[in-house]
Amino acid sequence: MYLIGEFCEKEAVRAAIRMLREAGVTSAQLDLFSEEPVEFPRGVLDRPSRMSLAAVLGAIAFGALATAFIYWTQYNYRVVTGGMPVFSFWATGVITFEMTMLGAIVATFAWFLWESGLVRKRDRGAPVPEVGPGAICLRVRCGAEDAPQAIEAIHRAGGRQR
Amino acid sequence: MAAAPELLPYEQIRKDLFRPLSGVSRNYLLATLCAFVVGAAGLVAWGYQLGSGMGVTGLRRPVYWGFYIVDFVFWIGISHAGTLISAILRLTDAAWRKPVTRAAEAITVFALMIGGMFPIIHLGRAWLFFWLLPYPNSRLLWPNFRSPLLWDLTAIVTYLTGSVIYLYLPLIPDMAQLAEHNTPWRRRFYRTLSLGWTGSDREWHALERAMKLMSCIILAVAVSVHTVVAWDFAMAIAPMWHSTIFGPYFVAGAIFSGIAALLVVMAALRKILHLEDYLTRHHFNNLAKLLLLMSLLWFYFTIAENLTVWYGNEPKEMAVFGARTRAHYAPYFWIMVVLNFVIPFVLLGIRRLRTIRTATIAASCVLAGMWLERFVIVVPTLANPRLPAASGFYAPTWVEIAITAATFAAMAMLYMVFSKLFPIIAVWEFKPHPQEED
Repeated sequence: MYLIGEFCEKEAVRAAIRMLREAGVTSAQLDLFSEEPVEFPRGVLDRPSRMSLAAVLGAIAFGALATAFIYWTQYNYRVVTGGMPVFSFWATGVITFEMTMLGAIVATFAWFLWESGLVRKRDRGAPVPEVGPGAICLRVRCGAEDAPQAIEAIHRAGGRQR
Repeated sequence: MAAAPELLPYEQIRKDLFRPLSGVSRNYLLATLCAFVVGAAGLVAWGYQLGSGMGVTGLRRPVYWGFYIVDFVFWIGISHAGTLISAILRLTDAAWRKPVTRAAEAITVFALMIGGMFPIIHLGRAWLFFWLLPYPNSRLLWPNFRSPLLWDLTAIVTYLTGSVIYLYLPLIPDMAQLAEHNTPWRRRFYRTLSLGWTGSDREWHALERAMKLMSCIILAVAVSVHTVVAWDFAMAIAPMWHSTIFGPYFVAGAIFSGIAALLVVMAALRKILHLEDYLTRHHFNNLAKLLLLMSLLWFYFTIAENLTVWYGNEPKEMAVFGARTRAHYAPYFWIMVVLNFVIPFVLLGIRRLRTIRTATIAASCVLAGMWLERFVIVVPTLANPRLPAASGFYAPTWVEIAITAATFAAMAMLYMVFSKLFPIIAVWEFKPHPQEED
């Protein structure tokens, strides 16, 4: 089941999250909804990300594939180079660089879509609260037996249960 | 004096910035119609060129690069307005960037779309454009990956892809808000484009991370793109092109013209969309200072480039240098210096004179001056090649002039359509950032 608490201040949300975490609720069970980005100090509601790693891997993959492809095409149809190398990294380095960057761009965008949950909704049946300007809504996924504790944490932090 | 936009109530900000999206004024329709007519004239001219061949242009031996390549370099330079300026301001967390970034990012996308058209127009047989794509032709010959033409293709494709994503990402939260209260077709449009954005912390975290990463990546790509455009020239052993500073010279010129384009667009948006409370004197003043800095840098590069040629006194180089500074192309050269250095230096360097109006005038001069700079770089070198007997002269025909004018109209039209579909200032970014509060 899902519980939704509405708060007017960031500090109240932070207190509610702290109490819920102490009661055994994990950060994966919590979601915040707001009209603006809400940031907390490290350790409150961390969302570890591998986006940078994905960008680097995407860059390496695209760059390597592009270079390999050019190398293969140069030998697939050899042109007369007058003793110069058939494949020269210096002469095709610009394409390798651009394709490396394209890989980083595509990987970043793809990872953004994945990590944000826009293309991979965790639970399509989960309620999405309507948030007014300045308000912050906290959605808690918990079992029926844990619900009273979660409701108490929301109230004690100064929130309103919806 | 108007209050700082960040201090206005959020509801007011939202109302003000979403207002231009609804309703179409008579002036807007008239401006769109004018842009459409000029754009259509350009299409007719291109159609005539496709039907009759490249003989209808002023391109003759030995000048085979004329207005089209000038336009190509100019528009690719303008594209540096957005992504580069926006990325630098975002990475340095400059608070004044908020009303500026989206307008700049949109310029990048449209300028790249327009600039990217020119190599195709210049090809003559535009329908054979696909020969540039990496696939073997009927004789199983692959494209020449060592050719700067192919470098251009990959650089522009990468930059355009990155710029579109860079423009799109921060639009998502605004489109999600627009999807809430709108006409049915617009609701469907914004809902589709916002990908079901709910405003959850996972989405915000991912968006902020992606924007930071994209800022870093796009900076490297932007610098590389204009360097590659410069290498189109510098890799040729032509007088006054074969220069090691052409890469940074072009990048500096691109940022210079980009800032100028941004200032002109901002002044137009401020007036037409009544955004006086959001695009304030503060923003124009900061951009004007940047423009002045780039003007000085451009002048330094121009001196360095020309002084070394003059001092070296190499005959072939001096023929081009003479054509540029004393002979046929001298008026263009000296007008360029006045427009790119003298006017901005006076109007923006003297603090008392630096206003929104003078910044816009200086920026307009820089745009004209930078177009002339591209012309002065491209044409005199080709008109004075290493073989003296091959010297020639270039004068554009109505076809090239019409196509060039059409690109400016296309830019205006694309911008007008964009400003009716999307808020030109990122609404969600206007809210005080938690880190700034702390």
